[in-house]
Amino acid sequence: MIMKKIIWLVVLVVVIVAGAMLYRGGNVSTDNVADDTIKAADASPVSDAAAIKRGAYVAVAADCVACHNAPGSSEAFAGGYGLKTPFGVITSTNITPDRETGIGNWTERDFFRAVRHGKSPHGLLYPAMPYNAYVKLSDQDMHDLWAYMRTVKPVSKTNAPDQLGFPYNIRLMMAGWNMLFFDNSPFKSSEDQSADWNRGAYLVDGAGHCASCHTPKNGLGGDITSEYLQGYTLQGWFAPEIAGNPHVGLGNWSNQDIAGYLKTGSNTKAVASGPMAEAVENSTQHMTDADLAAIATYLKSVKGSNDAAPQPLAETDAQMSHGKQLYEVNCSACHNVQGQGLEGMVTAFAGNPAIQSHGHGSLIQTVLKGGRAAITDSNPTGAGMPSFAWKLSDADIADVLTYVRNSWGNAAGPINADEVKSSRQSLDVRQPMAVPN
Amino acid sequence: MDRRKALTSIAQLSALGVAASTNAAILNHKSQRPPGSPDSGLPAPISKGGYVYFSAGEAKEVGAIFDRLIPADELGMSASDAGCVVYTDRQLAGPFGKAASVYRLGPIKDGTPQQGPQMKQTPAKRYRVGLVGLDTYCRQQFGGKPFSALNEDQQVDILTKMEAGKLSFAGTDGQEFFALLLQNVQEGYLSDPIYGGNKDMVGWKMIGFPGARYDYRPYVMKKGQPLNLEPVSLFNGAS
Repeated sequence: MIMKKIIWLVVLVVVIVAGAMLYRGGNVSTDNVADDTIKAADASPVSDAAAIKRGAYVAVAADCVACHNAPGSSEAFAGGYGLKTPFGVITSTNITPDRETGIGNWTERDFFRAVRHGKSPHGLLYPAMPYNAYVKLSDQDMHDLWAYMRTVKPVSKTNAPDQLGFPYNIRLMMAGWNMLFFDNSPFKSSEDQSADWNRGAYLVDGAGHCASCHTPKNGLGGDITSEYLQGYTLQGWFAPEIAGNPHVGLGNWSNQDIAGYLKTGSNTKAVASGPMAEAVENSTQHMTDADLAAIATYLKSVKGSNDAAPQPLAETDAQMSHGKQLYEVNCSACHNVQGQGLEGMVTAFAGNPAIQSHGHGSLIQTVLKGGRAAITDSNPTGAGMPSFAWKLSDADIADVLTYVRNSWGNAAGPINADEVKSSRQSLDVRQPMAVPN
Repeated sequence: MDRRKALTSIAQLSALGVAASTNAAILNHKSQRPPGSPDSGLPAPISKGGYVYFSAGEAKEVGAIFDRLIPADELGMSASDAGCVVYTDRQLAGPFGKAASVYRLGPIKDGTPQQGPQMKQTPAKRYRVGLVGLDTYCRQQFGGKPFSALNEDQQVDILTKMEAGKLSFAGTDGQEFFALLLQNVQEGYLSDPIYGGNKDMVGWKMIGFPGARYDYRPYVMKKGQPLNLEPVSLFNGAS
């Protein structure tokens, strides 16, 4: 009898705690500062040019257009971009103020709730929309963003359905996800840090949503907060550590290295390509120098992973000696004799943390498919790398990458030919050319 | 040119300009990425299998001529062992054999030496006709034997006379045919192995050419020193 009472008591406590967490995860009271009467497509009662301009800047910093724009489409914010998550394809939506197909019938409060809490009038959003970062956006930035979004040209474009398998297609499940992984709290500035640092933290964790790619995720796509900004593989690309580890992170980058990279797409150590090139092109290059300096200040303060540099492989290693010959023949013309690259055009290998990271996806993918450097207003060249899939075998690619990861002071684990083989399959890249002997 | 014609041609030129510019594209952040390597931009290795253009008999005679021009010796294997006959066969079956890049419509006149080759026949046709001429000549002169059955001295004598312009055949200028044979055997011996010749990069090893490398900066300063660079083909798997 007493036992039964205890069990009931435990159940009661669990239900209350879960309810409290659910409430906390779903609590949207901070959005009540927003107006709930005027809809996006209604005639604008006030047109505050300064607010619209500030809002455009918030949209750039948050890189909304990265996802809410179909590739190659000129209809900005009309959605249609398929985000390939481990759970299926989630297609971005039309966020232009079109009444039928966009957010024209949303109020400012609807907008606040969607952006900061993942709760749209149509149901819970998937965290592919980084509301877990945007929850940090200030009321002021949100008001401005709303003012700007109302000025966007309405586009009539019906949203494509997501392609998610059971059980991920149940949107209500996100309530549970929010309970477990959504830190529903606004940005809190740190009193003992500079204004510069706080601005950087606000941009990195809020609009910039850097953690969306750069922080490792658990099996349900929640951030592993103990490994904050320490690198993660998404869509076959490894977003390297941007915390303080000197070997695989930004420990050896100066503040100017970081700010310059975000402004121009490159520095003496690395050139942005792949998804980061898009982030630089759409977002960071348009941010003010002061904001980029603030981001650098903040990132330099983030404690990095403990990954120590291993011993480099010996030059006599079979992969290394084969890789050396392949490097000289295929890579050195652009990446240079000592792996130093060409500043502003071709990424350096020597001392480049991304090259020595434990995630190899970006390296293998770039050799197989080729790549292109970020194209920015300050550096519009956009040097291209050809695909080597036709020329190099799986073993060749593994060997040359192993060589690059263990030369000129670099040190990292070898890459296996099987890994290249499976990448070649999953990326649907051609096999090497067959040449009759 | 009257006014109407001038206007028409300006309009045509403008139209050409527009047509050309539709193919060009401005590279910006909206450009498709990565640029990759379109298959149309890759080298085209030869097809597998037997001869495409030559008959077996023609191939045998061409092999005999080629091996007299580049015999097996201490410097390397013979031309036919290096794949030069296969190389030439594929070239004759392709655009080279069809003289695809050469103007061949009339008027047909004898050109001056400075004007280069002035032939109506395609290279493929020149081989076909030239080999018949050579074969007929050899069989008449040497008791029904083809060129390939002659001894070394007899073969050298014939080729020397052709080269000197002292021996021609019906429909074929001997000197010009010799020049074509010599050009093709050299190409086969020294071109990239993906085109069928230069087996094991024998030609490149012979002359010390390091092959299709992108970059020689580490070696630029090593004047007069042996570099001992292993040659490389356009395609790693070729040899």
